[in-house]
Amino acid sequence: MSNLLSVENLTMKFGGLTAIDDLSFDAKNNKITSIIGPNGAGKTTVFNCLTGFYKPTNGQMFLHKEESKISLRKYTDFKIAYVAKVARTFQNIRLFPAMSVLENLLVAQHNELMVASGYSLFGLLNLKSYRDKEQLAVDKAKYWLDIIGLTHRADDNAGDLPYGDQRKLEIVRAMCIEPRLLCLDEPAAGLNPKESAELNKLLKFIKTEKQTGILLIEHDMSVVMGISDHVVVLNYGKKIFEGTADQTKKSKEVIEAYLGVDE
Amino acid sequence: MEIKDIIQSFKDSLFTGLIALALFGPIVGLRTASKGEGLFITPQWGVVFLLVGLCILGRFLINLNSARKTEITFFSKFTSKFSVITEDKAKHFAITAILFAVVFPFLPFTDRYFMDVAIMILTYIMLGWGLNIVVGLAGLLDLGYVAFYAVGAYSYALIATTFGWSFWICLPLAGLFAAFFGILLGFPVLRLRGDYLAIVTLGFGEIIRIILINWYEVTNGPDGITGIPRPSFFGLPFKRSPDEGETSFHLFFNLDYSTMHRIIFLYYLILVLALITNYFTLKIRKLPVGRAWEALREDEIACKSLGVNPTNTKLTAFAIGAMFGGFAGSFFATRQAFISPESFTFIESAIIVAIVVLGGMGSQTGVVLASIFLIGITEMFRDLEQYRMIAFGGAMVLIMVFKPKGILANRKPTILMHGEKK
Repeated sequence: MSNLLSVENLTMKFGGLTAIDDLSFDAKNNKITSIIGPNGAGKTTVFNCLTGFYKPTNGQMFLHKEESKISLRKYTDFKIAYVAKVARTFQNIRLFPAMSVLENLLVAQHNELMVASGYSLFGLLNLKSYRDKEQLAVDKAKYWLDIIGLTHRADDNAGDLPYGDQRKLEIVRAMCIEPRLLCLDEPAAGLNPKESAELNKLLKFIKTEKQTGILLIEHDMSVVMGISDHVVVLNYGKKIFEGTADQTKKSKEVIEAYLGVDE
Repeated sequence: MEIKDIIQSFKDSLFTGLIALALFGPIVGLRTASKGEGLFITPQWGVVFLLVGLCILGRFLINLNSARKTEITFFSKFTSKFSVITEDKAKHFAITAILFAVVFPFLPFTDRYFMDVAIMILTYIMLGWGLNIVVGLAGLLDLGYVAFYAVGAYSYALIATTFGWSFWICLPLAGLFAAFFGILLGFPVLRLRGDYLAIVTLGFGEIIRIILINWYEVTNGPDGITGIPRPSFFGLPFKRSPDEGETSFHLFFNLDYSTMHRIIFLYYLILVLALITNYFTLKIRKLPVGRAWEALREDEIACKSLGVNPTNTKLTAFAIGAMFGGFAGSFFATRQAFISPESFTFIESAIIVAIVVLGGMGSQTGVVLASIFLIGITEMFRDLEQYRMIAFGGAMVLIMVFKPKGILANRKPTILMHGEKK
């Protein structure tokens, strides 16, 4: 299986604090790579570097595309999602609460629709070419809503959905930009066991059906161990272990980092 | 009611009296009067005690009957019923309102004064609709909107007086200039949000006004620009005795000359401009850029994570909002035939923001209702001279107490998957 993302010697310093220290790992196409570690280990910081919210102090991040590779350092801000097609969700859900579920999914397709609407000109003239494109966007939204079973609530405000549904909606909203790499920041936080199981199903579906690699930060071990193909363990910004889920469970270093060790 | 409650409400009323005394004491109690050489203070303690007494009594009665509660439920019931009507029958409501606006000049009770007030309300509605794009949709609190109004008015006045071009050429030019200034303001404030953005826009509004005052060579400073051409009815001027070789409006249509012709024309002009603004906003709200504006208002970080370019999105909102402000400014200039920096003070911005916020952010109908309510009430109490601002403040307080989210706070999705709910 080919590499999708390779992170090389990534270092992020905030003043005197080194949040990520010389981190290297790979993520593969159509695989779920989990990043775990105790609180404050630097997991979310890795995501923020990958998705352009922070500019790393040092190191490189490459996204592989067939034979070529593009450096994520070159893109900042919205261009990560727009050009490099790296999508993410957030630890604290960031939907557009006062907009409808369908509108949330259409905003994710903003750039294609913007071109289709001739930067609003064709849209104002209400040309058929734009209306067709808009219908396609709605169909795509419906496709994803069918998968998470929220089609009947498409016209309700996203903020009115139950918590678990908001989580799922945020994930499919990120999928609407057709990402090559999907970064999920604690998608199972606050979910009950039944919802966690549904989440596993959704992530497995994305992994197998879509050309998308998934990078996952998670504390819920039932999710991590259930679906991860590869696990990277961080502590104090350093990688302390890397391997399959089973290897991770047995690793002495990981148990030490989570539970502490007898003096 | 127990004795304890009565004592409690009595205490509460005394406290109300104290506040009333602090307010009425200096405002009503100390009246300055000029006698001969200078100013003297004539105290009016009688009136103050009367007012304070009324406040105490009123508060006590309210407390006793606990009327406050029923009053509030009555009002919110009334207003929520009203918003249900305007929501459900939105189309009917809009059509009725537009029809009324169209026949308004020919209603029997409509006189010059009513027409002037109506034109003023329509100007504010148009400004409100323009600002609604920036504040209501894109969520960028702009306290200097009057700057674009001023840029529109001055560009119109300068182009029209210098080149003598007609209204219909100057209007889009003035709009373009205002849009350009919108982008100019937009760039430095891209990173700012909320309070910080509000302060910078407020400063921008003042900068424009101060430039207008001090750039004497171009803007004629505080003296303002006079002799701005009046609009003509497609080339027919509204004049009693037209110049040589010209036909005026009343001669062409064989009517007796009346100053009302021009007023009515101005009225329809601003009505059409306002309706264009409304139509445009309703349309663009349903386009990707409109949705991106609202998404930006909801969560900028989420927008970035989805690949929405926040810079372009914000700048288009500023530019388009400013453009409509510029159009309104042109209209103002041609209506007044005279403009000076005095017309573009901060209070104008504040009124427009108040209209948008009180109307319910993003609601087009809300802007209409708030304009009529605020401007209309202020006009109704014109006889009270400076005290009419109390009516203005009172109107705001009433709306905020009973409808804290604005008169019409319900937002309708821009696109539906399952069609209208029955």
